[in-house]
Amino acid sequence: MAQRAGGDDSEFTRRAADGGSAPSRREDARLVRGAGCFVADLLPEDCLEVVFVSSPVAHGEMGAVDVDDARRMPGVAAVWSAADLPAVPQTPPMLGITASAGRAWPALAVDRVRYVGQPVAIVLAADRYVAEDARDAVRLDISPLPVLLDPTDAAGSEVELFLGMPNVAVEKEYGDPIDPAVWRDAAVVVEGNYRQQLLAHTSMEARAILIRPEDDDGLTVWCSHQAPHRLRGDLAAALGLPEERIRVVVPDVGGAFGGKSETYPEYLAVAVAARRLGRTVRWVEDRAEALTGPPHGRGQNQRTRMAADADGRILAYELTIDADVGGYPHLGAFVPLNTSVMAAGAYQIPRVHVQTRCVVTNTAPTSPYRGAGRPEAATAIERTVDTLARRLGMDPAKLRQRNFIRPDALPYRTPTGFQYDSGDYPAALALAMRTVDYDGWRAQQAQRRRTGTGAPLGIGICSYLERSGNAWEFGSVEACPDGTYLALSGCCSTGQGHETSFPQVVASVLGVEPELIRLVEADTAIVPRGIGSYSSRSMQTGGAALHRAAGALMEQARGRAAESWAVPIEEVTYRAGTVSAGQRRVSLADLAAATGPLRADEVFEPPQAAPYGTYIAVVEVEPELGTVSVLRLVAVDDYGVVINHVIVRGQSYGSIAQGLGQALYEQVRYDPDGVPETRSLLDYLIPTLSEVPPVTLREMCTPNPNTALGAKGAGEAGCIGAPAAVINAVVDALDLDDPSAIQMPLTPFACWQARQPALAGAGR
Amino acid sequence: MRVTLTVNGERRELEVEARRTLADALRENCRLTGTHLACEHGVCGACTVLVDGEAVRSCLMFAVQCDGREVRTVEGLAGADGTPHPLQEAFSAEHALQCGFCTPGFLMLAAGALQEDPSIADDPDRLRELLTSNLCRCTGYESIRRAVTRAAGELAGGAS
Ligand code: FES
Ligand code: FES
Repeated sequence: MAQRAGGDDSEFTRRAADGGSAPSRREDARLVRGAGCFVADLLPEDCLEVVFVSSPVAHGEMGAVDVDDARRMPGVAAVWSAADLPAVPQTPPMLGITASAGRAWPALAVDRVRYVGQPVAIVLAADRYVAEDARDAVRLDISPLPVLLDPTDAAGSEVELFLGMPNVAVEKEYGDPIDPAVWRDAAVVVEGNYRQQLLAHTSMEARAILIRPEDDDGLTVWCSHQAPHRLRGDLAAALGLPEERIRVVVPDVGGAFGGKSETYPEYLAVAVAARRLGRTVRWVEDRAEALTGPPHGRGQNQRTRMAADADGRILAYELTIDADVGGYPHLGAFVPLNTSVMAAGAYQIPRVHVQTRCVVTNTAPTSPYRGAGRPEAATAIERTVDTLARRLGMDPAKLRQRNFIRPDALPYRTPTGFQYDSGDYPAALALAMRTVDYDGWRAQQAQRRRTGTGAPLGIGICSYLERSGNAWEFGSVEACPDGTYLALSGCCSTGQGHETSFPQVVASVLGVEPELIRLVEADTAIVPRGIGSYSSRSMQTGGAALHRAAGALMEQARGRAAESWAVPIEEVTYRAGTVSAGQRRVSLADLAAATGPLRADEVFEPPQAAPYGTYIAVVEVEPELGTVSVLRLVAVDDYGVVINHVIVRGQSYGSIAQGLGQALYEQVRYDPDGVPETRSLLDYLIPTLSEVPPVTLREMCTPNPNTALGAKGAGEAGCIGAPAAVINAVVDALDLDDPSAIQMPLTPFACWQARQPALAGAGR
Repeated sequence: MRVTLTVNGERRELEVEARRTLADALRENCRLTGTHLACEHGVCGACTVLVDGEAVRSCLMFAVQCDGREVRTVEGLAGADGTPHPLQEAFSAEHALQCGFCTPGFLMLAAGALQEDPSIADDPDRLRELLTSNLCRCTGYESIRRAVTRAAGELAGGAS
């Protein structure tokens, strides 16, 4: 097995600082000049601005919507509630999620509202300021109904959020139920209750869509999105249009993180408005709207139970999840699947059983958020493993080493039905321990405890494993007569730098300079098919598809040359953009010019991959105030083959910052009536530079055995590994026996409160 | 109301409502869309521009407050001949941007600070405090810090 450890971060810093091997990203040239083009930067003449009147009530019966005053305001083009529309389109269910049946999410609320922020009426005006004035003049009459905010409460409640239907929208089970004798006879059994708080994606650019009606009754749609072809299909289905009449273009996207792969009711309402008025219409969401949601991420109540023998061999693991899908089951109902299939993490556990319920509540609908079910899985098992170590009086690193799936047991099929491909989980932990100086920190911790000096110090480990990629992706490479190459991909960059990295993939196969290759993606009029960018799938799946397409282009060129030279194809060789046989030689450019288009299209569906790694955090908790300081964070990741190290390390860094945000600061909070309290970036705290601790990144590389490219997928690991490492470190620092006593985010108050019993005990 | 601004050296006469923000005036009236809006309540700094050389959040300022003043946006950062500003080069070289949505704000924040006091980059605490004023959701900031340090070096080198 190919296995090597990459350089450390200081080496990376030097290389980057030298301007070394990594070329600048192509995207940068326009973005640093303010010449990028985000949806809100498109300023077509005569465009109407949309503002939504949204529900201030979390659950209620709708009376009439009084739009008269708003309509009379100068400059207002239209104000409509559902009652004004001949038909109210419904958001199509996603990924075949059956939970939506009978629980459709309408473009504008009909009869009932089910979360604060649900669009009730659409206002259109030439000017956003005027549209907001008109919004404020719309009067709503909503009679409040009981509000359910917690998925476990909602599952057991008499209150039906959808009349005649259970609040549990989906119930699933993975693995076999565990024989009660296993729990009874095991030397140790530990349990935990963990809360995965609701998070806000907070891409710096919020949602945005611009729609222009076309003469053929079709639409051109510019949207800040992750999956243009999916959006096209959904809009077509919801509006009853043939797909060919809709063109979706995704221009520059200001971050997405899972929140822009969906089709939202607002998009449907904007499309309806554009068609009814025959005008170009845009909706640019503002931050207050974005924080109100949808989407939110995470939102799981988890119960875990783990049995082990006296030596610390894990015998069984059980995970029960109540997932909050918010007011309408949408893509959030898919997330627990991810949590379930990778529930057992990197461990060889003979019995694993997972039960999940996706429950409707009166929070805003949830969606995948960077990590999308994986941080939830990793945190549950990694906190539980740490609890087990405490119970056994064993070092948590040693306990992990005892239970890892060994490299020679890979590929490995988990009891929940997922296949792990390749890697060396023990080596990742060992590398992380060496890098952070694990033994040194343990010695220091022991000394502080012995002498009672210094702030409580804790060391936390998270050995994660994730699943990346899914389904097929389209890739195409064409040799153009001018000597350049055109690559098409069905993926959709939202900041990951595909314009730079995808040409690198194609260039490496063709043996030509990357500068000769131009990438086009995110336009359904040019790219015939595609899925998009999420689930760390771009390089793993989309890159692999381009890799194959480039190979197929070479074959096609050899075949074409063989035909025109009338020689057997075996005699034709390809090298660096030319084919030759004997004395004859022609460039692909000339071949295309002479014989017609040379283009290879590929649709490739590799199996999902299993990147993995280990994160170790060292923290101090200020005893009086409860403030957590992360002193060190080491991240060891194996993403398989990495095409562009600078981009991938940037992804690691950024997702670690988001992971720290979940661990320490971020939480969407609702008041008891279901009104969100975190409506500004002063209430919803994402990390600033001052909150990001010293981070050391180390890479391992076990190529993905299932694709010729060998990439496993990157981008989400920091969100997966960092939270559990930090919370385990804080539990370790505070020496908490009941790990459920503290939940994320680990605010000073949460830490201070969790520490109280210990303080009280010490004082007695 | 009628206001006259000098934006990136160019005089602009605009007819705006009193409530119109500087950000909207720049983006929509002047069609200079490099200045981005990410919160519109003064927290993220994506909308940072220089007004009379000083970094301000253009979402918190009204266009009428800038009557007769000089505004510099990211579009005016490069030299007149298109030569990129050292900060622009450094951001790219250090991979200090991913989606690039926050980038104009960080560039203008740093440009204002380095112009006022180039030594700020030599003091890690002051630099940290400066860059803590803006939000980025993609990069984790480390590369932004490196980029500003690098550009400060270039600027100092050029001056000496
Ligand atoms: S948009 Fe002005 S500070 Fe955020
Ligand atoms: S690069 Fe995306 S927000 Fe900073």
